[in-house]
Amino acid sequence: MHVLIINGSPRVKKFSNTDKILDKFCEGLSEKGNSYLRYEISDRRQWETIRQAWDESNNILIALPLYVECIPGLLLEFLETVTPHKDDADISFILQSGFAEGCQLRCGEEYLKLMSKHLGCRYKGTLVKGDNFSIRFFEDEKRDRITTPYKRMGQIYGEEASFDSEECKAFTGPEVFPAYVRVLVGLMFKTVARKSFEKISKEWGCTKPLDYRPYGT
Amino acid sequence: MVLIINTTSDTDVTAKIGSSLKEKGRPFEIIEASTLKISHCIGCNYCWLKTPGECSIKDDYEQILKKIIKADQMWVISDTALGFIDHKGKNIYDRIIPIATMNLKFKNGQMRHYLRYDHKTDIGLICNGEADMDQLRKWNERAALNFDSKSLGVYGTDRIEEVTACMC
Repeated sequence: MHVLIINGSPRVKKFSNTDKILDKFCEGLSEKGNSYLRYEISDRRQWETIRQAWDESNNILIALPLYVECIPGLLLEFLETVTPHKDDADISFILQSGFAEGCQLRCGEEYLKLMSKHLGCRYKGTLVKGDNFSIRFFEDEKRDRITTPYKRMGQIYGEEASFDSEECKAFTGPEVFPAYVRVLVGLMFKTVARKSFEKISKEWGCTKPLDYRPYGT
Repeated sequence: MVLIINTTSDTDVTAKIGSSLKEKGRPFEIIEASTLKISHCIGCNYCWLKTPGECSIKDDYEQILKKIIKADQMWVISDTALGFIDHKGKNIYDRIIPIATMNLKFKNGQMRHYLRYDHKTDIGLICNGEADMDQLRKWNERAALNFDSKSLGVYGTDRIEEVTACMC
């Protein structure tokens, strides 16, 4: 199988969590004897090339971060410019987010299914996974701990050309956290996580508190 | 105050809304955003971690953001594409992120960001064109979670009288 892979993140490739996820996913895809072309919509210079590849592809995979419960404005802008297929191409998605629970991504997932019809493509499922916010802040082993599981997903997609398998569905993890986990994680949010965000903020040169109100009340 | 952000080039809709709200004596402001320079969100996270509350993109959205945080209701008027609102409408939603802080909590069992400001803004959507309305209604409800507020509903431009009845 030859796949057109589009990174639909508006964030530049260097800092894109989706890009790091795709690195591992593509390793798995290649291991199963597949080939692919991979582009980023954050680089508008690639748009014409991606449109050409779109027209010629019958296996399309779009990986995207969840932006306000759905697809990012920039990806929408790009997709508004492609010529819809005529039910002659398969399309799948990797939908990732910072929020960790599966339920946070379901509304976006539903839209991707509907959007596939508008794009004239046969929907082959969405790999749904949250808890990816910190990828950009980590390197090497720490980053690999988050992204390596996507390699297995790439292998499955490489064999089945869809995300319909039970293993892909289970990859999402919990839809909501049980109450005791929420208590523990909630405590972490107020302590460790808050300190960690403040540390990153200082490293980025911020001199204001994270809850600063630049526009008054 | 009711804030109406029109991302379409159809000013007849806003003219109708404006005259209806004037008649009813309701405070409102209309922003014709189709003539403004509004970029997409680039996901840099600066508004959370480097310049808290301020977007790194210096374009016309900043004046809109300042009004959103003080409005009781925000209504976005958007053209549609691919069964959804088009990218211009979606950019208005995507760029609200500075109203949230980086800090997290659980609300109604789900992870959410703490809001930066005390005032809450309910959100409504007016669509100009065909769209999957049921999906949009669900989506607008989810989008309202980002404001810690409620959805005022999703309407077509053929239901302006009904919409203005909800604007208060």
